[in-house]
Amino acid sequence: MSEENFKLSRRRFLQAGAVGTMLSAGYSASAIAQSDTPHLSDYQPEYFTAAEWDFIVAATDRLIPADGEGPGALDAHVPIFIDRQLVGSFGQAADWYMEGPHDPNAPAALGYQSPLTPAEAYRAGIAELNTWCKENHGAVFAELEKETKDAVLTSLEKGDIELADTKGANLFDLLLQNTKEGYFADPMYGGNHEMAAWNHIGFPGARASFREWVGIEKPYPLGPVDISGKRG
Amino acid sequence: MKKFVKFLAALAVVGLVVIGLIIFLPVSRTAPQTNVAGDYTTTNGHGEYAMRMGDCMACHTADGGKPFAGGRPIESPFGTIWSTNITPDPEHGIGNYSLDDFRASLYDGIEPDGTRLYPAMPYENYRKLSEEDIRAMYDYFMHDVEPVNEAPPKTDLGFPFNQRWGIRVWNWLALSDAGHEDLYDDTVLNRGAYLVDSLGHCAACHSPRSTIFAQAGKNAEDDRYLAGGVIAGWPAPSLHGPQSAPAKWSHDDLAAYLWTGRNSHSAVAGEMTQVVGDSLQYATDEDMNAIVTYLRHINGRGEDKTTLDASSSNEPTETEKLLASADPSMPLGARLYLDNCNACHFVNGKGAPEVFPSLDGNALVVADTAGGLLDVMLHGARMPSTEKRPARLAMPGFGDRLSDEEAAELATFVRQGWSNDANAVSAEDVAAARSKSSGTHH
Amino acid sequence: MARKEKKRDVVIVGLGWTGSILGMELCNEGLDVLALERGGDRDTVPDFQYPAIADELKYGVRYGFMQKPRNSTVTVRRSESETALPYRHLGSFLPGDGVGGAGMHWNGHTFRPMAEEFQLKSYVEQNFGKDLISDEMAIQDWGISYQELEPYFDRFEKVAGIAGQAGNLKGEIREGGNPFEAPRSNDYPMPPLPQTVDSNKFADAARKMGYHPYPRPSGVASKAYTNPYGMQLGPCNFCGFCERFGCYQYSKSSPQTCILDALKRKENFEYRTNAEVLKIELAADGKTAKGVTYMDANGEEVYQPADMVILAAYQLHNVHLMLLSGIGQAYNPATGDGVIGKNYAYQTNGGTALFFKDIDFNPFVGNGSNGHVIDDFAINRIDFGAEGFIGGSYISSGTFNGQPIRSMRLPGGTPKWGAGWKSAIKEWYGHSMAIGSHGSNMSYHTNHLDLDPTYKDKYGRPLMRMTFNWKSNDIRMTQFMKSKIEPLAESMNPDIMQSSFKKEGAMYDVRPYQTTHNVGGAIMGSDPKSSALNKFLQTWDVHNVFVMGANAFPQNIQYNPTGTVGALAYWAVEAIRKDYLPNPRPLV
Repeated sequence: MSEENFKLSRRRFLQAGAVGTMLSAGYSASAIAQSDTPHLSDYQPEYFTAAEWDFIVAATDRLIPADGEGPGALDAHVPIFIDRQLVGSFGQAADWYMEGPHDPNAPAALGYQSPLTPAEAYRAGIAELNTWCKENHGAVFAELEKETKDAVLTSLEKGDIELADTKGANLFDLLLQNTKEGYFADPMYGGNHEMAAWNHIGFPGARASFREWVGIEKPYPLGPVDISGKRG
Repeated sequence: MKKFVKFLAALAVVGLVVIGLIIFLPVSRTAPQTNVAGDYTTTNGHGEYAMRMGDCMACHTADGGKPFAGGRPIESPFGTIWSTNITPDPEHGIGNYSLDDFRASLYDGIEPDGTRLYPAMPYENYRKLSEEDIRAMYDYFMHDVEPVNEAPPKTDLGFPFNQRWGIRVWNWLALSDAGHEDLYDDTVLNRGAYLVDSLGHCAACHSPRSTIFAQAGKNAEDDRYLAGGVIAGWPAPSLHGPQSAPAKWSHDDLAAYLWTGRNSHSAVAGEMTQVVGDSLQYATDEDMNAIVTYLRHINGRGEDKTTLDASSSNEPTETEKLLASADPSMPLGARLYLDNCNACHFVNGKGAPEVFPSLDGNALVVADTAGGLLDVMLHGARMPSTEKRPARLAMPGFGDRLSDEEAAELATFVRQGWSNDANAVSAEDVAAARSKSSGTHH
Repeated sequence: MARKEKKRDVVIVGLGWTGSILGMELCNEGLDVLALERGGDRDTVPDFQYPAIADELKYGVRYGFMQKPRNSTVTVRRSESETALPYRHLGSFLPGDGVGGAGMHWNGHTFRPMAEEFQLKSYVEQNFGKDLISDEMAIQDWGISYQELEPYFDRFEKVAGIAGQAGNLKGEIREGGNPFEAPRSNDYPMPPLPQTVDSNKFADAARKMGYHPYPRPSGVASKAYTNPYGMQLGPCNFCGFCERFGCYQYSKSSPQTCILDALKRKENFEYRTNAEVLKIELAADGKTAKGVTYMDANGEEVYQPADMVILAAYQLHNVHLMLLSGIGQAYNPATGDGVIGKNYAYQTNGGTALFFKDIDFNPFVGNGSNGHVIDDFAINRIDFGAEGFIGGSYISSGTFNGQPIRSMRLPGGTPKWGAGWKSAIKEWYGHSMAIGSHGSNMSYHTNHLDLDPTYKDKYGRPLMRMTFNWKSNDIRMTQFMKSKIEPLAESMNPDIMQSSFKKEGAMYDVRPYQTTHNVGGAIMGSDPKSSALNKFLQTWDVHNVFVMGANAFPQNIQYNPTGTVGALAYWAVEAIRKDYLPNPRPLV
């Protein structure tokens, strides 16, 4: 090894050490910033029943699969996010106008017209879809092969499978929207575990301060920070 | 052995006699320092204005309390002192005070019954008040203030500080002569010195303390005069000396700071927030000019109205370059700065005039005592609303987002970034600052 | 039985931009002013403070600062034959809620209309002939000229602290500004902000094509600024959390940053939050208002007498309150009679996305008013006769945010989920930009507002019903913009390009966000038969009720409305102070 190479590698080693120190400081020193999110497998759903939870885990795993670069929905704890959203004001339609009469056959362009809250729509829709899966594929959704799951989701998306029990709410749209929300929202909501989705695309999270980067046409190198101050 | 006991007993007797003398020697109250005609009447607004310049309100009004009803806790090294009710209520306030009683409280720190006030009441400074100001304030408190029939909490310091006779000894040692002496051949400087030394009682915070906790340095000829102090862990920056703000800032910047709590360099935090909000914002153009002219005069900046800016170079500092790089390998302190501070204070640490205080060269940031900096970092700060600058611009606290170790790294980074060169802060310092409740949220 | 409160000189309904302006100016006049705000109180710290504000889900997606449809909404239909259904959760437009109103969560685009837009009907008739105005169109002149309003635009720009670059200073054309703007008496109070990568590339391309790019006039501060009330703005840091968010940096012009701390100091000003005005109470003869009835924070009904009532709520709510209170005659589209609810209009927007594999845009570096604009296809630059439509657009490009849930731009054909989606978001995030057109929307006899026959709000009042659809004139206009934007985009050599402009037959869809530029419904004009308000924003029928806001627009301008709303508020309050207060009466 030449002297020059040695120096270079030593410098690199030191830089790596600095990063390591910084990251470890990020985890160990920031007691406040520690997430209280349990691991997905240890999580006790607050809203979903066991059967519903199995569906959510299986479906989000297909909507954002683990294979390839970047976290899958399960790596990102998306099911935890959805469960928490459904017990919260979103799931309860707390902000929405829910007075009748409701017209389940309203044109889609006039927006959500179901009498069900999102939480109720999930419950009704999952049950009906699992029944459909049993009738058509011999098992509930979570127990189907990957390819079959994808085919079911595609049919649902296209409207080839119609779920009457959601009374006009679109289970697929809700699920896909909530899955993406859970993938990218601040980790304090239970998803985007360890800011992995932000790292995947290069979004610096809650840093929200870039005056010195205005108009600079090169990749921004620094990783994200979340609202709690945890560094990813 | 017996002899020794006798000696001790004798000593005790002597001691008791001395104490007795200290306690029971008749109190002499300082007489008026200038002759004012018996039928002297104050001009409209003079009393309220003198009250404003004397900032009676800041201490004698509790957060959310009625004006002048007292009950604000004042932290001292000896314990909490509760301010008194100075409304004209006869039972709990000063309704039964004669003019002489009123003057004695200001000049000598003595209540009508002979009780001595703790020197949290700045009679060290108020004893320089003019008779005209005293009369005007007396008139104001007796006639223009709503009486409030409420008793504030009683001050109850531990032994020996609950023995108020000890204050008498302290007074003998600490107090200078009453009355204000004009030192200059210039009415503006004399007025400025009067406002700074008497009503404004700047030295109460901005002066170092002698071994007996008296204000050190009685006038500008003494280097210790207004050379900075520490109040409840907060630095009260020096107003005297080459590194002081009056030595560095322009005339207008200093005036803006005192009038509005903000200028192109800095912004108030801590106790000074109230001083501006309750007192200095009301200063007339003439008086503010006098205060600023005087403070700059004692720093040799009398003629020159400009800013002395040490860091006028536009070359980016190493700190600025590091922050602007967004290099993931940067040290933790720099990373924390980008994640928490950079938004408002920017990579050059200079903030924005009147809105975001500069951290580079900021007296609070680089003070020997980091308590003020840590308090602001952890608990936030809010500028006072003033007539000239009504916006209550605020910095939120970051205490929930920073561990003690992180806050220490960050504080050390800003104390040593750009042209700053102050000592490091430890996690223990942060823990201590965190445990104190902040007095800056109004 | 409602509790009765002490009479005030003035009651202001809503404490957003116009409520704050009227409050300030009328307090300065010495009047005793009470503002009633139906939402909660809000201040920069704690309500917008960092880091809690940097929460895309809470504010960007769940609309934390917006009006809750549960508390107040409208019903929507696209034609008289459709049954209107409630706008149950927010989508197409986002009315604000709480102190500051929509003025705290806007983006800050602060334009002045073209002078021609104030006399649109006359301008069209004189230059292109009456026949161009189809029978279904309801366009009108405003009853006021740009020249009359100019000092008040200037005033609002100084109070709001607008950053920009003059293009026409007292008739002198200035390099780098908008050469097609109407003459201004003063430059903007602040220079423009620096621009992001996409904005600069767009400006370069536009210049090469002979167009005239200028920095978007911005209610986002470029430097520390103190306004005429002594209120202060701090320089923007391009945090990328602007529209839908409160500004944690004191950079975005808002009632909070520009007015409220100064107003709250005034002893003759009071405001009450969570106080929802239910009705304006009229005197027996119906010629004056006696005050308002509102529901207080505890759910108690309160009668608040006042000598004067200022409606300063959002456009939709001003119109709703007028309909509920019987101020002016409700509009009937079948007969054309009546004026309250007529001429509701929206905004006609379109855009082209450009994808570049090798360019790093860093889309999280942005602010709500960033961008360059060209007005080469503005209303006064188009030969309506030749093109066969009335209207125009500004065309612009810039980055407001790079928030990944709501701003993930992907090439058409990208899978919406699965492994393909996951790899595409990595490949394309930060590698695209967009060129948008923001255009006028004409008023039509059939686009209007009235009371819904079926749905009620939580107080039992009928919801307001919106009848609105896109019309072919405006679609022709937006298709014209497409024909101008696409060559410009192509000149930039993107790897992929895709356009989204409304096509003939497009139906209004309440789901995707479009714009919160709802206008009209209680329009200003010179004739009480065809307008609800006179040129001083005074109601024709009830002279002590003045109505602020974009409800006064007879059709929508091609620009964002806030600059005009602010100027009209200053114009109206000047008339109230100088002319109305000495002798209260109908001013026209």
